[in-house]
Amino acid sequence: MRGLWAILVKDMAVELRARQVLPTMVVLGMLIVFILRLAAEPIATGAGLRVFGVAALWIAFLFSGLLAQERSFAVEQQNGCMDGLLLAPLDRGTIYLAKLLGNVIVLTIFEAVVVPIVSVSFHLEVAGRWPALALVLLLGNAAISSVGTLFSAAVQLTRTRGSLLSIVVLAILMPMMIPACFALLVLCGALPEEVVGASTFAFVGSFRTAVGYLLAFDAVFVVAGWLLFGLIIDD
Amino acid sequence: MREIATQGDESSMALSLRSIGKAFGTKPVLKNIDLVLPRGQAVCLFGINGAGKSTLLRIAAGLLRPDTGAVTLDKYDIRVHAEAAKRRLGMISHASMAYPELTVHENLTFAARLYGVPDRAGRIEELLADTELASFRHERAAILSRGLLQRLAIARALLHRPAVLLADEPFTGLDAGASERLAAVFDRFVREGGTLLMTTHDARMGLRCCQRVAVLDGGMLRLDATKTRIDTDLFVGDYLSYARSSR
Repeated sequence: MRGLWAILVKDMAVELRARQVLPTMVVLGMLIVFILRLAAEPIATGAGLRVFGVAALWIAFLFSGLLAQERSFAVEQQNGCMDGLLLAPLDRGTIYLAKLLGNVIVLTIFEAVVVPIVSVSFHLEVAGRWPALALVLLLGNAAISSVGTLFSAAVQLTRTRGSLLSIVVLAILMPMMIPACFALLVLCGALPEEVVGASTFAFVGSFRTAVGYLLAFDAVFVVAGWLLFGLIIDD
Repeated sequence: MREIATQGDESSMALSLRSIGKAFGTKPVLKNIDLVLPRGQAVCLFGINGAGKSTLLRIAAGLLRPDTGAVTLDKYDIRVHAEAAKRRLGMISHASMAYPELTVHENLTFAARLYGVPDRAGRIEELLADTELASFRHERAAILSRGLLQRLAIARALLHRPAVLLADEPFTGLDAGASERLAAVFDRFVREGGTLLMTTHDARMGLRCCQRVAVLDGGMLRLDATKTRIDTDLFVGDYLSYARSSR
């Protein structure tokens, strides 16, 4: 816990000084929201607009999250700082957990900025459902951050080509996007609580199942990241 | 000349590298290296670029996994009991390991938190004074000169009172005064019972700081002898001409 807290506090201090991640995330997020709002103009009423709103949220979280994750290990590349972390008497999984927590916090701040703007722009009817919305956003955030943090380490610390990060992370996150979109569509009133039939969302079934899938995805990738991080950065 | 300093009571040894072998791809870099350092000894490892000095130090620090052999610090295997071994280890490398966005004091505070240093504030003040960095405590690392960054790296490496200090090319980029100050820090560290393993191309400074010299060439230890057993002037001359001819 000591090491985790130290790395987390250090990362937040570095970000507050450098202000490199959050401003870039917000600019990219706003751009995505703005473009999707323009594209949705012809259907600027009803459920269609809310569907665009949900798409805007997840696309903004995914791509802005990638920016944050890419930066989280880039700071350790300067002046051999990663060696400094690896020399410390810490379990290597602790470094992963600290970086993950840092990315979750940054993405949460980003969500706090973007969600109200999207809610107003796309008329998302989430009033009275804020706790459920916060839960879904947090679970989605943890999923994006757990996968992104692990592969960001692989890309940054093993000198793999940077473009691989977005390809691999987005491919792995695709299954998580189905319950994530489902849950937000239900919360926005664009889908009923339960869906039956042959559609993609019928596979998820209900809001509760969607939350269950998100929880399971988070648990698998947080534990996998914690266990695999040491192997990835070894040598 | 080869004095076998690798034998002796293992329990009195601070750092032990046994049968270390390492290859990058198909290219062998280290071949069956044995190097054992008793407590309170300073050893300088010489070798031309590419001889494997930095690789050996990174293996000793647990930053690289050897293909064969084992590293133990105070009887703790660096791979098996990594946390216990790393508590006893400090390292100064080519890089300062300092975050440019943080101040000198914040960099040291972060390192102290990582190591769980008791009386953190007091120890940081002590090292700021020792490395003459007290007046730079609120300066960001980004604006420090190479010499000041090196002093910060030394303070960081000594913060948790390590028993073994690894120094990879510590004099690189330092002027004569700064090199002499660094040598004085090493002298005090060894006098107080610390064990030092350093690499350098600067034969005179290496001999000035250490009681024992080793030469690594072609991945093997070609010389391992105490300073009293060699003619230091001849060694410096021979080493320099050898290093020049190997460029």
